[in-house]
Amino acid sequence: MEAGGLWMLLAVAVVLLGTGLPAYAVLMGVSVLFGVIGVAGGGLDLALLTALPSRIIGLLENDLLQALPLYVFMGALLNRLPLADRLFRCGVALGRRSNSAPALATLGLGALLAPMNGSVGASVAMLSRSVAPKLAQRGVPAAESTALVCVASTLGVVIPPSLVLILLGDAMMRAHTEATNVTKEMVRIVNTQDIFRGALVPAVMFLALCLIVAWLLGRRTPARGPAERPQAVEWATAAIAGIFVISLLAGVAAGYFYAVEAAAMGGTSLLFYGLLSGGLRGGAFRAVLRDTMAVSGALFALFVAATTFTLLFRAFGSDRLLDSWVSLVPGGATGAAITVLVVFGLSAFVLDAFEIVFVIVPIVMPSILTRAPDAVWISVLALLALQASFLVPPTGYAVMMARSALAQKAPIRQLARALAPYLAAQLVVLVLVVLLPGIAHLAQPKGADEPLVEKLDDETARKRFNDMLKLPPPPEE
Amino acid sequence: MGETNVGWLSGIDRTVGRLVEAGRWLVLPVALILFLQWPLRDFVRAWSREANDLGQWIFALYVSLAMTFATRERAHLAVDAIAHGYSQRLRAAIARWGGFACVAPWALFMIWTIGPTVQRSVLSLEKFPDTYNPGYFLVKLAALLLAVLALVQALIDLLRPAKD
Repeated sequence: MEAGGLWMLLAVAVVLLGTGLPAYAVLMGVSVLFGVIGVAGGGLDLALLTALPSRIIGLLENDLLQALPLYVFMGALLNRLPLADRLFRCGVALGRRSNSAPALATLGLGALLAPMNGSVGASVAMLSRSVAPKLAQRGVPAAESTALVCVASTLGVVIPPSLVLILLGDAMMRAHTEATNVTKEMVRIVNTQDIFRGALVPAVMFLALCLIVAWLLGRRTPARGPAERPQAVEWATAAIAGIFVISLLAGVAAGYFYAVEAAAMGGTSLLFYGLLSGGLRGGAFRAVLRDTMAVSGALFALFVAATTFTLLFRAFGSDRLLDSWVSLVPGGATGAAITVLVVFGLSAFVLDAFEIVFVIVPIVMPSILTRAPDAVWISVLALLALQASFLVPPTGYAVMMARSALAQKAPIRQLARALAPYLAAQLVVLVLVVLLPGIAHLAQPKGADEPLVEKLDDETARKRFNDMLKLPPPPEE
Repeated sequence: MGETNVGWLSGIDRTVGRLVEAGRWLVLPVALILFLQWPLRDFVRAWSREANDLGQWIFALYVSLAMTFATRERAHLAVDAIAHGYSQRLRAAIARWGGFACVAPWALFMIWTIGPTVQRSVLSLEKFPDTYNPGYFLVKLAALLLAVLALVQALIDLLRPAKD
């Protein structure tokens, strides 16, 4: 029966692709089908499945998940308010002497707003609506403009305190807890704050490389478009917004307040800005509330369905089978890290970041972390792999979203050429983090990284993993 | 389907629609309460746990309504790399029957297993276990509401007359 969960995964992939049904419905349907088969065949204990309600209640009382609608709320407000537009105009005006100013302003805007946005999709929508037309006005070719929107939209995956980072942090905390139950090591369990700090330096490295690429590419092109002359009130808005976002980021990274509180501050401040500036008049406010509820509901449904799926996956004992496969990967911690990169990279071709965090992380990460105990390093690699996969044409998530959102459709070959330097920058950061795990710990406070006393070999890890899981006895023949 | 049935179904559809749409305002108290949590904890040094618990059950109610709202708004994440090539009629049939077959059994199982827990919790007006603040039963009630709404919406989508 251990293979049951893997058949479930295959069934999800086939039904998801073959029917186009929502991912949450497919996860629920496949879980119920295999649950019925398992119970009828005697391989599953029904009592084990009745743990589902307590898990769902656990989601509803999870403090961290309160951040979900708040980030979505911020994303919806940013999408409706002219803030992105003002920031872009001020960014271009700041670099008026440089031909690279529009590209640099787009990346700067992504770095500032993408972490506050709900998701890569929300960032693509915001930048496609507010920035892409202005890039076109300045004669930026469609491929270059699409590449900039894609890169800027995915910055939220690695720059804290984004929603993807929060949810990955929560998932990694659970996976690390399971892994330490196996290794029996007395280590501090990784938390969301650790992953924020871990992602900070690689994110800054990637952003710096992207800005250099954009600046170098811009220097080779002729002067573009009219000069921007923002009014004093626009400068003031841009300055306040910049200081506010950076303060939020610093406050969360330093531990002054929780990510949930930062999201609430951002959402409330944007709401007051919208109400006072008149940006939420007419139907805009109701539209923000509708967008927020629809996206929050979609994400929470995915969470509920993934919780059901992983319960069944474990009930079948498929995590033990997966663990035995991971143990065959040579290379110790580095081998495990490369496995993460490959699994996440492949998953990201068909799944959104949220689907990967909810479904793939709980299944794959516990066994990976028994071999590569540096949970912060593994998390950062996972984030970088996710971001890179979203940018790979033609099926990368950000690429597909941007191509469908933008009025000017860039030919895929030209888009691939425009994205290539940014992907090379991403590869440089990825390789550096694989080879130098210390990069993921540069922003950690002293004493945060307690080293493991003892490392387990694969055989011992597998044995302890099996001992930990109390499964129903196998059916009598 | 007869006209009586259609009228009956439309009534339920409207009721569910109004209920879940009313919930969209709940994000405002969640944001405001959690916004206040930091100053309450670090400056006032009181009421932050009360604010957290209050935010918790409002959040639970919000997302339990939001899941069905997303279904009604067709906002759920899906991968239609292959299915976008199907005819409209086939896609509608898959959405109608596939959606029901996937969601309804899950919702029924949830209602069956969570019902007694919720009943006990509501009858005793269960409080939050760590703080003894009132309202924890609303979190459990929200889990039941989530499942009931998912089932009713799946039925509405199945029985709704097809658009030609």
